[in-house]
Amino acid sequence: MQLTLSKMASIGMLAATLLAGVMMQSAALAAPSAMVSTQQLAQETRVDQQRAHVSAFLDRAEVQSLLEARGVDVADAQSRIATLTASELATLAAQIDTLPAGEGALETLIFVLVVFMLLDIAGVTDIFPGL
Amino acid sequence: MRCCLQHKSVRLCLFALLVLFGLSACLSAPQTRLLQEQQPARLSSRELLADVGFFPQEAYQCGPAALATVLDYSQQQVTADELVSQVYIPARQGSLQIEMLATARRYSRLPYVLPASLESVLQEVAAGLPVLVMQNLGLSRWPQWHYAVVVGFDLTDGTLTLRSGTRRDYVMPMAVFERTWARAAHWAVVILPPGQMPVDNNQTRYFQMLADAEPSLREESVTAAWRAGVQRWPASDLMSLGLSNHLYGQALVQDAASVLEQLLAVDTSSAAAHNNLAWLMLELGQTEEAMRLAREAVTLDAGFKQTLADIQSKISSGR
Repeated sequence: MQLTLSKMASIGMLAATLLAGVMMQSAALAAPSAMVSTQQLAQETRVDQQRAHVSAFLDRAEVQSLLEARGVDVADAQSRIATLTASELATLAAQIDTLPAGEGALETLIFVLVVFMLLDIAGVTDIFPGL
Repeated sequence: MRCCLQHKSVRLCLFALLVLFGLSACLSAPQTRLLQEQQPARLSSRELLADVGFFPQEAYQCGPAALATVLDYSQQQVTADELVSQVYIPARQGSLQIEMLATARRYSRLPYVLPASLESVLQEVAAGLPVLVMQNLGLSRWPQWHYAVVVGFDLTDGTLTLRSGTRRDYVMPMAVFERTWARAAHWAVVILPPGQMPVDNNQTRYFQMLADAEPSLREESVTAAWRAGVQRWPASDLMSLGLSNHLYGQALVQDAASVLEQLLAVDTSSAAAHNNLAWLMLELGQTEEAMRLAREAVTLDAGFKQTLADIQSKISSGR
């Protein structure tokens, strides 16, 4: 796959987001040995909502056809959503919310989604072997 | 984020409205149509909160004026002028929604963002709460942002009454309102005095609004708001944990524990509630109960096994 400049740039941003996400995740894993705070609960409920939001996005027919055109199995994509980190979900959910009308925008977001999933499969240190 | 300036860009506003009216044949107002076709049983056909104050806006400052209107009605002494420096951004000739919410919190009021439902807006008005709304009076590509306050409605005539800009009782067709409101992402907020609940019945939403506001509200406001939440949703672990954590923050350990005990008496499914109560029991010296609760938390969610280990080691080391 040939990468355009803008796609390269978005990959760079995504990699940074993902690294931050991994670091946050490892910090969070060490935590739950005390009382669950109200702020933690609020964060959890937000992540649940974002997950539902992204999942509903994947249910849209035009999104599914774009994913299938890229050879991504929709059921597989849905199951990946469950494994995205909080910051990845936040990024995706925000992008869905601010999605401008038009085919091109949706295409870009699908690309972002596919990259997220590939990163998820490949791990951070082994980025984009399939691209 | 520019507010509609009444006395200078009247023509602009008129033009925008004319365009809207002109396009009304091909624009839809689905919520209005639905409400008028099938009037909800629990909604009266007309309502007017006549005693909501009026703060006519100056220049572009519809944000401070609208916010002053709802804060004043929630028994909070305030003037539009003192809000200007807090929510008005001169460079943008307008106010950001996030600043509007933050300022309400600074006045120790709980802002509650309503779902994107016109029926929900009308329900809050019918329950006696004026609703702060954002509108885009222009078009999506050429926005004229505006804040106003919905104070009444008439489903038979299909109109809403607003405190809007320099007009005290601005009656506008519900369909036109819906379109201008939809172009501002259906943003609608009620300002809750301490302990008052919205009609909207969504515990996750209420929990998040309150959790966000908690650091800025006065202590007694927070307590009242959590208690009202627990009263409406006694089986909600979110509400009980919120209240319990708040009481614990005030060193009221026994009270914090009994809130969770009351929750577990009606619903035993929350691992987090078991976990938190285990720690509270440990603090109250009830080690056996603490161990039992910690084990139960792990049974419900294996992620809490660190709690069990920590409590066990604290007990065996005699604390």
